[in-house]
Amino acid sequence: MTPIIAFRGVGKWFPGVVALADVSFDLLPGECHAICGENGAGKSTLMKILSGVITDYDGEVLVRGKPARFRGTRDAERAGIAIIHQELNLVEQLSAAANIFLGRERRTPLGLIDDAAMEREAADLLAGLECPISPRVPAGSLRVGDQQLLEIAKALSLASDILIMDEPTSALTEAEVARLDRVIARLRTRGVTILFITHKMDEVFRLADRITVLRDGRVVKTIDRAATTPREITGWMVGRDIAGHHFHGPRSRGPKLLEVRGLTLPWPDHPRGHRLQDVSLELHAGEILGVAGLMGAGRTELLETLFGATDTAWTGEIRLDGRAVRFAHPEEACAAGVAMVTEDRKRLGLFPDLDVAANVSICSLGEAVRGGLVFRGREEALVAPPLRATAVKAAGPHAAITGLSGGNQQKCIIARWLLVKPRILLLDDPTRGIDVGAKAELYQIIDRLCRDGLAVILTSSELPELLTLADRIIVLAEGRLTAEFPRAEATEQNIMEAATGT
Amino acid sequence: MAPLGSSGGSGWRLPRHELALVAAMVAVFVITGWLDPNHTYFATWAESRDIILRNTAILGIIALGAAVVIIAGGIDLSAGSMVAFSATTCALLLALFAAPDDRRLVTVGPLGIGVAIGGSLLSGLLVGTLHTWLITAIRLPPFVATLATLVGLRSFARAMCLFVTKQRWGSESQQINVNTPFFAWLKEHNVVIMTCTFLVLALLTWLILSRTVLGRHLYALGGNEQAARLSGIRTDNVKWFAYCFGSLTASLAGIFLMADSSVAQPGNLARGYELNAIAAAVVGGCSLQGGVGTVTGTVLGALFLRVVIDAVSKLIKASADVYEGMIVGIIVALAVTLTQFGHSGQGARRLFPGGRGLAAIPTIAAFAGLLAMMGAANVDAFAGRTGLLGGAVAGGMLLLLATVRWLEGQRAS
Amino acid sequence: MVDGTVVPRMHTLITTAFVACLVAGCSGNAGTATPMAGGPAAAAKAPGVAKRFVFITNGDDPFWDACLSGLEEGAKRFGCAAAGITVSRDVNNASAEGQIERLRQYATQPDVAGIALSVIQADNQAIVDEMKKLQAKGVKVITVDGDVNRELYREARSYYIGTDNVVGGRTLGTAAKALLDAKGLTSGGYVQFAGFTDNDNARSRMNGVKEAIGDRYVERDRMADEMDLQRARDNVRNATQNHKDLAALIGIWSYDAPAIADVVTESGSRDKYVIATFDAAPLAIGQMQKGNIDVMVVQNPFEMGVRTVRLLKAMVDDDEAVINEMFPRAGMPDGDVHTTGLRVVVPDRSSPVKDGLFDSQVVEFLTLPDFTAWLAKYHLTGS
Repeated sequence: MTPIIAFRGVGKWFPGVVALADVSFDLLPGECHAICGENGAGKSTLMKILSGVITDYDGEVLVRGKPARFRGTRDAERAGIAIIHQELNLVEQLSAAANIFLGRERRTPLGLIDDAAMEREAADLLAGLECPISPRVPAGSLRVGDQQLLEIAKALSLASDILIMDEPTSALTEAEVARLDRVIARLRTRGVTILFITHKMDEVFRLADRITVLRDGRVVKTIDRAATTPREITGWMVGRDIAGHHFHGPRSRGPKLLEVRGLTLPWPDHPRGHRLQDVSLELHAGEILGVAGLMGAGRTELLETLFGATDTAWTGEIRLDGRAVRFAHPEEACAAGVAMVTEDRKRLGLFPDLDVAANVSICSLGEAVRGGLVFRGREEALVAPPLRATAVKAAGPHAAITGLSGGNQQKCIIARWLLVKPRILLLDDPTRGIDVGAKAELYQIIDRLCRDGLAVILTSSELPELLTLADRIIVLAEGRLTAEFPRAEATEQNIMEAATGT
Repeated sequence: MAPLGSSGGSGWRLPRHELALVAAMVAVFVITGWLDPNHTYFATWAESRDIILRNTAILGIIALGAAVVIIAGGIDLSAGSMVAFSATTCALLLALFAAPDDRRLVTVGPLGIGVAIGGSLLSGLLVGTLHTWLITAIRLPPFVATLATLVGLRSFARAMCLFVTKQRWGSESQQINVNTPFFAWLKEHNVVIMTCTFLVLALLTWLILSRTVLGRHLYALGGNEQAARLSGIRTDNVKWFAYCFGSLTASLAGIFLMADSSVAQPGNLARGYELNAIAAAVVGGCSLQGGVGTVTGTVLGALFLRVVIDAVSKLIKASADVYEGMIVGIIVALAVTLTQFGHSGQGARRLFPGGRGLAAIPTIAAFAGLLAMMGAANVDAFAGRTGLLGGAVAGGMLLLLATVRWLEGQRAS
Repeated sequence: MVDGTVVPRMHTLITTAFVACLVAGCSGNAGTATPMAGGPAAAAKAPGVAKRFVFITNGDDPFWDACLSGLEEGAKRFGCAAAGITVSRDVNNASAEGQIERLRQYATQPDVAGIALSVIQADNQAIVDEMKKLQAKGVKVITVDGDVNRELYREARSYYIGTDNVVGGRTLGTAAKALLDAKGLTSGGYVQFAGFTDNDNARSRMNGVKEAIGDRYVERDRMADEMDLQRARDNVRNATQNHKDLAALIGIWSYDAPAIADVVTESGSRDKYVIATFDAAPLAIGQMQKGNIDVMVVQNPFEMGVRTVRLLKAMVDDDEAVINEMFPRAGMPDGDVHTTGLRVVVPDRSSPVKDGLFDSQVVEFLTLPDFTAWLAKYHLTGS
């Protein structure tokens, strides 16, 4: 059988990172094909290439046997490929029908928009998908599951016969998941080829005919479902060369600083109902607690709650030095000695218009003040030690922060928080988008800080990072704490199993 | 490693911007002084200077408030109405302290004056607080919140004026004459007092923005609000300061304007001033995206706008204010365009890409031609030939822009 | 590298072009210093001798268009071009601040020899101060149409040209009373509409109306629109809805007449009201022809314009003869006031408003056809 899509030696480099390397596998007509991999394994990059979002890559993609190089999403659409992103692409104010036909509106002979025709067609499409909504309802008022079907309807209206779904069930209720299963089955009877990305093993083994496992941008294996087991798949997902782990010597654990009991963070208007459910943990001075979990497992939410940065009211108990605390604003957390390095540097961390010194001193500028005024010299003296401690490479304290590399920007942000002299440092995926050399430097910095008595909670989307740095690792899955391992017992295999609910 | 040289660009951009403003201002002075048949700028320099200083002080005071709000990542559209509101508040408080039948408010004592000025500044603080509440608690976008007060405050001031005059004197009035000796004195020395107030306020604003923690937090808030919050900055407090400062400067301007015109006329006072103030801040280098801007830039921006407006009234002679909006518009567009080209990476963009670019060329040429024609209509020497002149300018512009487009095409291919 | 330099150069080019246009467009009167060659008495027009008279209005109103025609006619009649004098009009933005700013601006310009203005607020100290400063610099300052408060600030201007507004108000009040009586009414309310209720001429007229219309009819409101045409209409709408016993609508400023006529025709309530208005805006003339206005008391802005030029020219030339002719009662109370005549215009002879009601020394009684014939003579569209 000729593959409907064939990847041949596809590779993609981002500065400092290999996203995909020499990826080759086939997608057969009419099959349901699952792509599995850890965070950062290259799944999304692959999807972006296939849907024409990424246009410069190595190797080639054959569609129906012919080489194709899409220059935009339109090209991909024309080739019959539709993608349902995890973040749905709908105009919330427009009606369901208008969304389905966005950019390809049906017109009356006078050139006016023909709403009636579009609504008729939309109703037919939606009925075929067990989606009993009126085509006139604004898309924003629909439930997530219906919105997803709307996207699928849109794909069908494009006469797409290849449908790519990126974690389609991540926000669905059980009933909606069951309905999606039925829709997928029906689409397959029509000969639609389906490629879906997931890390939920039950889903993979319920739906897929074949499975491709990606790891670190490479294909580990493409295999028939019948020929494998969930355990084997997770093994392939994580099984990498683990040389270089555990490079640090033993650290001495100090007194207990932080204790969390039964922390629950509600999530209104979401089928899951909670972002965090009954999470308990404790943290001692001089130790690094790793938090593992897949995307959306609640890692960031956990740190934000500890930092007083969440708007939703939580229940449970957080004790700092044995005293119950409830931070209403990050400022209170700072004052209590808790600091947090946020996940998305550009969006949540950097001040692009301020220079390096100002970015570092922003939380503790008060110390450079005499008589109500900030003195430049004092500020420079203030930021010099943390900049040295984190080994930031910049032209000087007044260099533009945007001119620094990602790693140096991240070091600046850590330097910022060292200035407040915290006792607890929350690090949310601190090495994301940073090249390998800078990562190693950051590991050393974190290790040293910890030896100086700092307590650290570290999340990471890369398991080796946690295994390298953490003394203990807790695992979150869909907001629940599913496992806790001391360093000696933690392996990528058992963490991944706890995170995927295998 | 890190691109070491990249810091240079950012460090030098602002002073260059400000130097350009000063240079442009000098050019306008010299050209106008030369073209103006009266040579007003050379002949009666002191009076021209006073007019420019007085107007700059008013515009500048409001613009400083606008700049602080803009730097903090917001926008305050209500300044003009705030001016009217504060002037009305001041006059009404004076009325309460004047003798019962004194409709010209001559008889107000020091206490009444103090209360009136304090009250009108307080009104600024209250409106600023209201803005902050609407924006932070109700979560209205700043544009909407201050749009509401822009239309609301003026009308409120008018209603208040009717109500108080009716209660106080038995007959309604849409305006209140203010002939209090103190305000007459203020008006007598308005150039010195207003200019000094403006400069002191500018100095104070500069100190706050560049030498205090609060100032740093304003820039941080405007540059990245989420990061600011996650850095432990009480962003709501910082916003409160910004909007209060914006309203407070407007109420200060309101007191001066009331004194200067010896009347509080809420219906018409300072209509549209908010847009000129925002324009001054933008011309001075503030970015409406927030996080960027300086006090020196804003002061120079206000001065530059007023200099150009004044230059035009020296040249056009009568009804020069017809042209004011056009001038402000062109200056704002030009200033921001030039600032953008100052950034690296923007230079490679084409000015007239594709069909729309092509359509822009005759549009700009037509506007230039019409402008030249209307200007020439004021000149006897061009009588009967205004059409010719307009056509020539339009044609020249067309040719010039077409050449630019052609060059761009050459470069692209 | 080449790309990097070409583009900024282009931008500079375009910027220069814009600025050039701006300067070209704005340098407007640069040429007035050297007026066209070949005109009469070109020799007298050497640079530096050129002078200007400026007329500053209170706001934007059709009334001022007739006045502008008068200014032009005056400039022609009294040989301004030959004397190197240009006459221009500056339309104020209906705010006190606007008039103050304009007066200041003209104070810096040495070629301004005379200023006539319609003062927007009779009691405004700041406007008075600027007028005095101009006088101190030797600029001739007179008021036209709207005067300062004569009890307080008489010395801020040399003379006043305009309607005797109290008499004008009384005339309109008398006419309105005749119309109300003719309807068989014995009581009722009326509302007066003007741009500003604190303006000298509006206040005088309104007081005159109130005085002449008598106590049987009650003044319900004086409504100000701040020269906003839309608001003028809204005021009329609100008045007709708020006062149930309303019998007359009195328009005090020229644009109020069409505003009133429009509103009553739109609501179909024309017959309920006596409509008496000041001035004869082009639209008001049309409305009277359609029968929507009962009487107009018409000032003569055209003549005001003509006489403004005559007076300023005489003041600049120190022409005592002309000044004495215009102000024969100099030194006596209100001897510095020169009144232009008033006309009472009615649709036709059948109107209850009769010639005999008015002092023929002050008021000229005309029917609409006679009045439009006069307008046509001077190519005017309104008065």
